[in-house]
Amino acid sequence: MAEVIVDNISKSFDGHKALDGVSLNIPDGSFVVLLGPTGAGKTTVLRMVSGLDKPDRGDVSIGGYSMQGLTPAQRNIAMVFQQYSLYPHLTVRENLAFPLKSPMLKTKAADIKRMVNDVAEVLQISHKLDNKATALSGGEMQRVSIGRALVRRPSIYLMDEPLSSLDAKLRADLRIELKSIQSNSNATFLYVTHDQIEAMTMATHVGVLDQGKLVQFDSPKDLYENPVSVYAASRLGQPRINILPADLFAGAPQGADKIGLRPEQIIQGQGVASTVTRVEHLGDQTRLHLSLASHDLVTVTDPYTRLKAGDALKITPHQPFYFGIDGSRIQ
Amino acid sequence: MSNSTIDRAAQATPPAMAQRVKGFSDRTIAWIFVAPTILILLAINIFPLIWTIYLSFTNFRVNRPNNEVEWVGLKNYQRILGDSDVWMTMQATAHFLIWTIVLQVLIGFVLAYLINKKFRGNDLWTTIIVFPMMLSPAVVGNFWTFLYQPQIGLFNYVVSFFTGVDPASFSMIGEVDLAPWAIVIVDTWMWTPFVMLICLAGLRSIPDSIYEAAECDRATKWRQFWTITIPMILPFLMLAVLFRGIENFKMFDLVVQLTGGGPGNTTTLTSIDLKREAFEKWRTGYSSAYAVILFVTVFGLASIYVKALNRVKQR
Repeated sequence: MAEVIVDNISKSFDGHKALDGVSLNIPDGSFVVLLGPTGAGKTTVLRMVSGLDKPDRGDVSIGGYSMQGLTPAQRNIAMVFQQYSLYPHLTVRENLAFPLKSPMLKTKAADIKRMVNDVAEVLQISHKLDNKATALSGGEMQRVSIGRALVRRPSIYLMDEPLSSLDAKLRADLRIELKSIQSNSNATFLYVTHDQIEAMTMATHVGVLDQGKLVQFDSPKDLYENPVSVYAASRLGQPRINILPADLFAGAPQGADKIGLRPEQIIQGQGVASTVTRVEHLGDQTRLHLSLASHDLVTVTDPYTRLKAGDALKITPHQPFYFGIDGSRIQ
Repeated sequence: MSNSTIDRAAQATPPAMAQRVKGFSDRTIAWIFVAPTILILLAINIFPLIWTIYLSFTNFRVNRPNNEVEWVGLKNYQRILGDSDVWMTMQATAHFLIWTIVLQVLIGFVLAYLINKKFRGNDLWTTIIVFPMMLSPAVVGNFWTFLYQPQIGLFNYVVSFFTGVDPASFSMIGEVDLAPWAIVIVDTWMWTPFVMLICLAGLRSIPDSIYEAAECDRATKWRQFWTITIPMILPFLMLAVLFRGIENFKMFDLVVQLTGGGPGNTTTLTSIDLKREAFEKWRTGYSSAYAVILFVTVFGLASIYVKALNRVKQR
C-alpha cells in the first residue's frame, strides 16, 4: 500500500479537454471516491493512475516514486473495469488466479488456490468457480472482475463503477464488504462512481469532478456540510438540495444570487407562505413538494404528517448556503 | 348494428387467410412453399449423387450409350484403390493441401496481426494485400507462367537476386522437384489475403479492455498473446482452415492453367485426374467410383473437423 499523488494532470482526446490540471493527494490507506456525472473525467483520472493512458502534462507518483513512462504492470496497481473485461475462454477460477500467475510473483499453487477460494467466498461466487466466464450473469461477471483485483495486494486498487450493474441488495452487501476489506487491510482505494450513497458510505475522501476539473476534495461530511459551489452541493443529498433565487427570503448577504436549501435547512411552520403540491409517503419519511412564488422545492417531514396537497405551509431557511452569480459559495 | 369505429374497421378487414383457402392445413401450406426448393435439390443434387453411386458399380461409358451396361460390383473400387497412379495424385493433393494451409494460415495470421496494429494507412495496405484474391484463377495461372519463365520471369530473377543462382538454371513449372512447390506458392499468393481477412475479423472482435485488464494483471505481451489472442482467435483460424481445405481439395482451374498437371503427373491433383478419367477417357463407371471415394473422404474429414470446431467455439 502506498500514498498516491496526482500532480496537475491534463489530458485531451481529439482536441476535447478531458482533464484540466487535476491534482489529488490520496493518502496511504484512504478510500477516495471520485464523484461526477458522465464525461466529468472520473475514468480518465483512473486510467492516468493505472498507466493505461499517459497524461499530456503532469505526473503521477505512487509511494513517492514518479510513475512517468511506467507500464501498468510496473506500477503494481489492480483495476476493476466497468465493462467487466473477463478472459472469456477461462473459468472463473482461472480468471481469479490469472493475476497471481504473473512470473513476477512466483506464488505457490496451494497459495493461489487458497487466495482464490477466499476471495470467491467474500464475493459469494464460490459455487460458480468452475463455470466459464461467459456463462455468468452480468452481476456475477462484475463480482469476478472485482475478485480479480482483490486477490492481489497492489499499491492501490482502482475501481471504475464496480457496483453499477448489480441489483440493489447485492450492491448494498458488497458496499459493506468492500469497505471492510479496505479498512481491515488498510488498502488504498481510488473509486469512481456516480452513486452518492456509495460515496457517502465508503469514502474517507470525496473528489468532485466537473468537466475535467477537480472542484472540491473533502471528507463526505465536509463536502455535504460545506460545499464550495452549487455544483458540489448538488452532488450529495437525497432529496437534492433546492436552489432558489436568494431574494425569496430576507437576510441574503451582499452579492448572493442563489440560496441553497437542503431539507434540514428548511424550518417548517414559520416564515414565508408556500403551497403543498404533492405528498410522497416513503415509509421512514415523507417528502413534501412545495410551491413557493412559482418555484418548486422538495423537503422532508415526519412520516405521520397530516399535510395533503393544497395545504398552505410556512417555511423559513435555517443556516442556508448562499451562492454568487458564478455558482461559487458566499460565506 | 352499431356504427362504432371499431365495428367499421372490423368489417373492412378481409377474412383470415386460413378461412379463404379452406381445406389447406398450415402444414400443407408450409409444404407448398418448401416443395420447389426440395424438387430442385432432388433433381440436381440428390438424384445425381444416387445415380453416381449406381454407376460406380457398372462399366458404363457415356460415349457409348448403346453398349450393354454390366454390373461389375466392387471392381471399379478395387482398381482405383490398387492403382499406384491414383495414389500418386492423392499424394500430390495431400502435399498441395497441407502446405497451402500451413503457409496461408501462418502468413495470413502474421499479416493480420501486423495490419491490426494502429498505424497510418493500414486501410490502404489491407486493400492492396487483398488484391490477388479478386483476380480470376485463370488469369492468375496465366500470368504466373510468365513470372516462372526461366529467361524473362520476374520470380526467377528475384530468386537469383537473393541467392545468386543463375535464373535460367531452373524452371519452377518444368521440373519434377519444383512444380509441386510452384503451385503451392501461387495458391498461397492468391489466397493468403482471404485467411488474413478472417484473422483480422477475429482480432478485431477481441475488445481492447481485455488486453488492458491483462496489462493491469501484469501479464507480459508474450503471455497476453498465448492466453488471450490465440485462444480467442482459434475458432477463426479453424474456420479459415476449413474453407481453404475444402476449396483446395477441389482445386482445378489454377493448376490446370499453370502446369496442366505436369511435368509428368507431379501436379496432377485428384480433381484433375478425375476430370481426365471422366471426360477424356470417358470411363464413366470407373470415374463415378473415383468421385464417390473423394466425396466420402472430404465429407468424412469435414464432419470430424466441424465437430472439433464446435468444441473449440464452446470453450
